[in-house]
Amino acid sequence: MELLRVEHLKKSFGAELVLSDISLAVNKSEVISIIGPSGSGKSTLLRCITLLEKADGGAVSIDGDYLFHEQAGRVVYAKKSELRRLRLRTGLVFQNFNLFPHFSVLRNLTEAQIHVLGVSPDAARETAMELLSKMGLTDKANAYPYSLSGGQCQRVAIARALALRPEILFFDEPTSALDPELTFEVLRVIRQLAEEHMTMVIVTHEMAFARDVSDRVIFMDEGVIIEQGKPEDVLINSKNERVRAFLGNFKS
Amino acid sequence: MFETLPELFNNISVFTAKWWGMLAGPFGSGIATSLKVFGLTLLFALPLGLIVALGEMAKFRLISAPVKFFVMVMRGTPLMLQLLFVYFAPFYIFGIRGAYSRFVAVIIAFTLNYAAYFAEIYRGGIQSMPRGQYEAGAVLGFTQVQVFLKIILPQVIKRVLPPFSNEVITLVKDTALVQILGVSDPLRAAQNAASFTFSVVPFMFSAVVYFILCFIIERLFNLGEKRLSYYR
Repeated sequence: MELLRVEHLKKSFGAELVLSDISLAVNKSEVISIIGPSGSGKSTLLRCITLLEKADGGAVSIDGDYLFHEQAGRVVYAKKSELRRLRLRTGLVFQNFNLFPHFSVLRNLTEAQIHVLGVSPDAARETAMELLSKMGLTDKANAYPYSLSGGQCQRVAIARALALRPEILFFDEPTSALDPELTFEVLRVIRQLAEEHMTMVIVTHEMAFARDVSDRVIFMDEGVIIEQGKPEDVLINSKNERVRAFLGNFKS
Repeated sequence: MFETLPELFNNISVFTAKWWGMLAGPFGSGIATSLKVFGLTLLFALPLGLIVALGEMAKFRLISAPVKFFVMVMRGTPLMLQLLFVYFAPFYIFGIRGAYSRFVAVIIAFTLNYAAYFAEIYRGGIQSMPRGQYEAGAVLGFTQVQVFLKIILPQVIKRVLPPFSNEVITLVKDTALVQILGVSDPLRAAQNAASFTFSVVPFMFSAVVYFILCFIIERLFNLGEKRLSYYR
């Protein structure tokens, strides 16, 4: 079942064309990894879908409901209330976590549940503690983000996104800000989510992880999708020159 | 006049015993005025400053341009001049007599002036907030108002506390300017007392008054900073 559809998405920053024509569909329970060189537009793609950037062209729909679409050459966004409703069906995990430093770990997880979803404080706390235990962070519920390691911060950030029960979760280079030895604890959590059939789109530079966890790998360069397919077809047996050159940089 | 430190203190105590009855009244009411000006200015200028800061950062130039101009004028002209202007403007510009009392004029001028300075501090604090905080809030479905009130403002308050302590301490000493409109204050009381007692001791009194007030404020800010140090 198709959950997310991106059609001919375009985005420029000034004169620089970052996304020239991106189309893709994400099915329920599918795990997609997006790889490619820096500046290829991977993050911008996620940011357009999660409404952090305004698109210049094309359309994005969730379960058939359009966030925005093109009408007579202009991008028309849905009503504010509709956008808020649709946005809550997605979640985004940032490269540098963006936890709220003035809230405890627990409150990072409960605040939006209570004040956005309208969940009761008790229920919100229960959901939060469940997620923290899943992340192996029960003992950090009352800690403040500054006292956590990068890996712990990112797991809290994942829990914070999950607390709103999104149907599709986006990851924008979730391990790029982490020391190598902390990377695995975050990847383990994402892997676990994949096993639970969470729908995820992951921008990553972790090739081995992408191969293991994804149903599909997308290679992007200069704002277009160069190749997509099964992990082994893209990551190991690609015929494409640019893909091979890019992957060559990762092999020692 | 005074030769040794013990003599100086002896003289102060003799002086105080002799003149206390005459000085206590003016000093008392002067201190009361200073405290009222101080308190009311903070009460009005703290929220107004935040509104001015938001106005300065508004996307519409129709809003931001005049607000920026206001801040420029308030910071670019003497507070003493603003006091005079606010008090005399209703009469000289509009021909209205007794639109408000001297004290009200003082509060208006101080509030406008300090709101401008506070606005710049708020603006610095708000603009120092990383974009990621806004984005995380937005992605979690908070409205813009919720993001500002729940996520941005609390962190801004922590960041602006040190520069605010500077400005608030300056405010204590600026309250001495109210005498330009003939409103009593500790410095004015000291001047009067000095002229009829032929002594500088009244000036020392008023110095101590200002110093104690500033000392208390500094302590309070330190306490505030400590209370907000539970996160980084």
